[in-house]
Amino acid sequence: MEYILEMKDISKTFPGVKALDHVQLQVRPGEVHALMGENGAGKSTLMKILMGIYTKDEGGEILFNGQPYHASTPKEAMDTGVAMIHQELNPILDMTVYENIFVGRELRKNGLVDKKAEIEEAQRLIEECGLHVSPKETLRNLTVAQCQLIEIIKAISINAKVIIMDEPTAAITDREVELLFGHIRRLTRKGVAIIYISHRMDEIFSICDRVSVYRDGQYIGSGDTKDLSEAQLIKMMVGREITDVFPKLDAEIGEVIFEAKNIVRADNKVKNVSFSVRRGEILGIGGLVGAGRSELVEGIFGMHELSGGEIFVKGKQVKVHSPHDIIREGVALITEDRKGTGLNLTGTVNDNIAMVAIDKLLTHGLYNKSKARSASQEYIEKLNIKTPSGDQIVGNLSGGNQQKVVIAKWLLNEPDIIILDEPTRGIDVGAKRDIYLLLGKLVQQGKAVIMISSEIPELMGVCDRIMVMCEGNFSGEVTRDEFSQERIMTLASAIEV
Amino acid sequence: MKKTKNAKALLSEYFIFVIFIALVIILTCLKPSFIQPSNLVNILKQASINGILSFGMMFVIIAGGFDMSVGSTVAFAGIVAALLGQGQFPLIVPLVVAMLAGLAVGIVNGVGVAVGDLPPFIMTLGTMTAVRGLALLTSDGKPVTGISESYKAVAATSVAGIPMLAIFLVIVILICSFVLAKTVYGRRVYACGGNLQAARVSGINTTMIRISTFAIAGLLAGLSGFLMTSRVTIGQPTAAESYEMDAITACVVGGVSMSGGVGKPWGVVVGCLLITVITNGLDILGVSSHWQKIVKGVIIVLAVLIDVKGKRKKN
Amino acid sequence: MSMKKRLLAMLMAGAMAVGMTACSTDTGSDPAASDSGDSGEGGAYKIALIAQHQTNAFQIAIAEAAEAKAQEMGVDLTILSADQDAATQISQIEQCVSEGFDAILFEPVDPDGLVDAAKSAADAGVVVINIVSACTDWENNGISAVSYGDNVTAGEVEMQHVADLLGGKGNIAILTGPSGDSGGLQRMEGYENILANYPDMVQVVSPADCQWDTAQAQATVESWLSAYDLDAIVCQNDGMAVGAGNAAGANSGIIITGVDGTPDGFEAINDGRITGTVSQNGGAMAENALEAAVTLLDGGTLETNEIITDSTWIDASNVADYE
Repeated sequence: MEYILEMKDISKTFPGVKALDHVQLQVRPGEVHALMGENGAGKSTLMKILMGIYTKDEGGEILFNGQPYHASTPKEAMDTGVAMIHQELNPILDMTVYENIFVGRELRKNGLVDKKAEIEEAQRLIEECGLHVSPKETLRNLTVAQCQLIEIIKAISINAKVIIMDEPTAAITDREVELLFGHIRRLTRKGVAIIYISHRMDEIFSICDRVSVYRDGQYIGSGDTKDLSEAQLIKMMVGREITDVFPKLDAEIGEVIFEAKNIVRADNKVKNVSFSVRRGEILGIGGLVGAGRSELVEGIFGMHELSGGEIFVKGKQVKVHSPHDIIREGVALITEDRKGTGLNLTGTVNDNIAMVAIDKLLTHGLYNKSKARSASQEYIEKLNIKTPSGDQIVGNLSGGNQQKVVIAKWLLNEPDIIILDEPTRGIDVGAKRDIYLLLGKLVQQGKAVIMISSEIPELMGVCDRIMVMCEGNFSGEVTRDEFSQERIMTLASAIEV
Repeated sequence: MKKTKNAKALLSEYFIFVIFIALVIILTCLKPSFIQPSNLVNILKQASINGILSFGMMFVIIAGGFDMSVGSTVAFAGIVAALLGQGQFPLIVPLVVAMLAGLAVGIVNGVGVAVGDLPPFIMTLGTMTAVRGLALLTSDGKPVTGISESYKAVAATSVAGIPMLAIFLVIVILICSFVLAKTVYGRRVYACGGNLQAARVSGINTTMIRISTFAIAGLLAGLSGFLMTSRVTIGQPTAAESYEMDAITACVVGGVSMSGGVGKPWGVVVGCLLITVITNGLDILGVSSHWQKIVKGVIIVLAVLIDVKGKRKKN
Repeated sequence: MSMKKRLLAMLMAGAMAVGMTACSTDTGSDPAASDSGDSGEGGAYKIALIAQHQTNAFQIAIAEAAEAKAQEMGVDLTILSADQDAATQISQIEQCVSEGFDAILFEPVDPDGLVDAAKSAADAGVVVINIVSACTDWENNGISAVSYGDNVTAGEVEMQHVADLLGGKGNIAILTGPSGDSGGLQRMEGYENILANYPDMVQVVSPADCQWDTAQAQATVESWLSAYDLDAIVCQNDGMAVGAGNAAGANSGIIITGVDGTPDGFEAINDGRITGTVSQNGGAMAENALEAAVTLLDGGTLETNEIITDSTWIDASNVADYE
């Protein structure tokens, strides 16, 4: 038997939308099979059908191990041997690591939960993954990356024949990616097939054997990765050629507009970090997950207590006790967790865009809806937000467009310094490019941009200067003419090497 | 270093218990008779019915729900038990039927919430109203008198100085704590409340889990109704008014998160005792009813505030 | 608190929809529904009785007596419940006027709040009579008559019996209905009138608001008994007296009294948990009010427009006559 999994002529219609139109997928045992396509191409829908979360339309068939396959719940899918790591992280934050790993298939002894065995097994899996957390730690106390790894551990431990990984590396850094790839290779050697969904080209080429491409609910084609070039793949995905993945616009670099001196956070997650940024400059902040990058900008932004440090905006010292103090000075922070802290997912695009700069949308002290609507419309066009209208619920937009809404919301407040934490996490090539171009235009207007990213190629592509952090410390700075992946990696892991 | 840190963490986790002990000490100083065995027995008796209800409520809240109907269910089950407990049947009959009546209400709630996808607040508000009507209808709007002596004795007797009501409570506490802490089912209740979507994609039958938590709340409300009738010696359609509020309060004071997924049985026990001790203490001090309301409200908010602040320090 | 109240109101509304059908035969839960019900009764007077609520034995007794009396007198009677809500009661009165009722008997949920509604009903030519308690300044607000048992007197009768049983000396405690309830306040006034004569009867604790509720009274009295030496517990209704009796136990030697004369109170008198109760004969109040209404509608005049039903002391010696 050639294929472990075959999905033939699968269609799925949502009210008003044909999400999948006679789509194909064939996966061999022991291979890593990439699913590629822009957001909305139908990859997630196809996988949700496989997992029993959605039901496919009449017609078409799924064969698993040569046998007709049907799952109406995730449990049935898992029992058959298909597991999935979801793109939307699904940790139960108030549960411990070991409880999360075994949720839904708890280990039992005499009909009761065998806590001891679960902890031991979890410990073993965690160690194999090279993660340093206690199985008894609560997920709320872990970083996003650690949570993601727990999700991966969970899927691995199911002993499935097919594991779907939807954006498994979206929140983890290169070192952890390597560990993950090690696991993937070990699994494939055992004959497990991996269906790998990612927007990161480098990963596709380094780990995947074959790739299937989808666009707008249609199946475009499949091929071996070794026979494909990046440009060919992008062309298949977007239906046109994109020459520069990281567009860089020229901007005039002016005077220092923002400076942070000797920042120390009360919880010691940031230890004495100083940096500055000039008008017209894009400053990148690189480092491994847990290096204190988000903690640094959140501290500066007044979201956490600082025990030391000075902050200067446009030459004036600012005492920051709450985000309000620094927003007033023209600083914006676009957080990493757009669902948790960035957006009201059940609100409309208009409502979300109006959230920060509401003062600008008042008439005689009252909220003026038509003002908000026209302001929102302006940014929908400027940022190329793909939404049927400003009245669309934000939760219904794709990740890339949600991110643009978050950015629009802050831009409406006309900030001079814009800090973005992982702005392109989990969004597709086209939307990423839109965001890079937008950042370029902002600095052309004399604004300054600070961008945190775990993707070194992205930082090297769009930044003028990259500052690297390691374990809460400033570990070095690289200017554009000295950019190299090795140099940045060395700085990121400086203290340990 | 590590040891002191652990002690601190422990203290903050059990802070509500410290508050409780402090309150007991203060009340004892103000009125020594507070700590006398006869009054401690009173406290146990007074805490029992709310305690049993709170444990049912705890399941629902941990699973991410909310139940407004338990007070009405107590009244309805109490009426049913009073009608059947006139001596014509062995006592097990009113007990079982009352619990089944409560169970039925709980299942209706659970199906409405988990299958009908109604917000728990609305669904249980509906049953709260309808079941109160059912209680009035069954009793013709009048108290049901004439329950048998043996039925009255259920709540009135003690075993080795411990009131029977408290024994019922302890049994409920033991069973519920065991189920939550040790069984797969208990683990899944937490999972549903912690992240319903995650629980679902992990292969848990979240619909059944959610229905079952409401069923447990109903079952325990039925038991409470049976005990309530025995305690007040009559079945009253108007009984247990707003008991759901007391049960919710006990849960929240005891550290059960209203957003679900968090809560420890021992916390609910302390929460429930705390509320009872406040009322009992104020009665003993002879504080006027008007002041009691104010003091009770302030103490509850303060206790939770101190608890939350204490926990935040840890992080 | 206000949420709780609102919930309570919603609860009551729902409960009543069910409760009404249970306790009255030819009535609807709102006047509109009764439109179809008066067919075939030709020229009979249409009279509405709007109760404060329909959730205790006292109120049920009123409804039952009124119904029996109405049948006897050939009157077309509709019974409504205001669910303890003044706004509901006002709209019910307005509705009854527009439905063309000849007379409205009602127990005001609020003595002040219902004055205007009563006045406009009277101005529209409807005979308005208060039962159980009266509106403020009722005579000048179009209310033709009141039929009530005097709550002050009931309180006096209860406390006087307690004083006699104690020989005018002892520690007493009082359980009240919801703070601010007018009936409760009047009974309290009666208590105070008597206590003024007995300086040796001491209230050792503040009166406790037990919301007319048995379980709450029971818990409060349990707590009290572990800290205070009480000779008598005087309760503003029988439900709370039963709770106090449960806490003290049968034949405890503590004098426990109530007001109302409800079946649970009688049961407790019989087995010695409570000493006695003052009966306010709700049924008689309703009957008297109906008679007065018909007299006035027939064009007659009343001997007095303040019809008082006596309060009776019931204890173990005469309880059998009332059960």
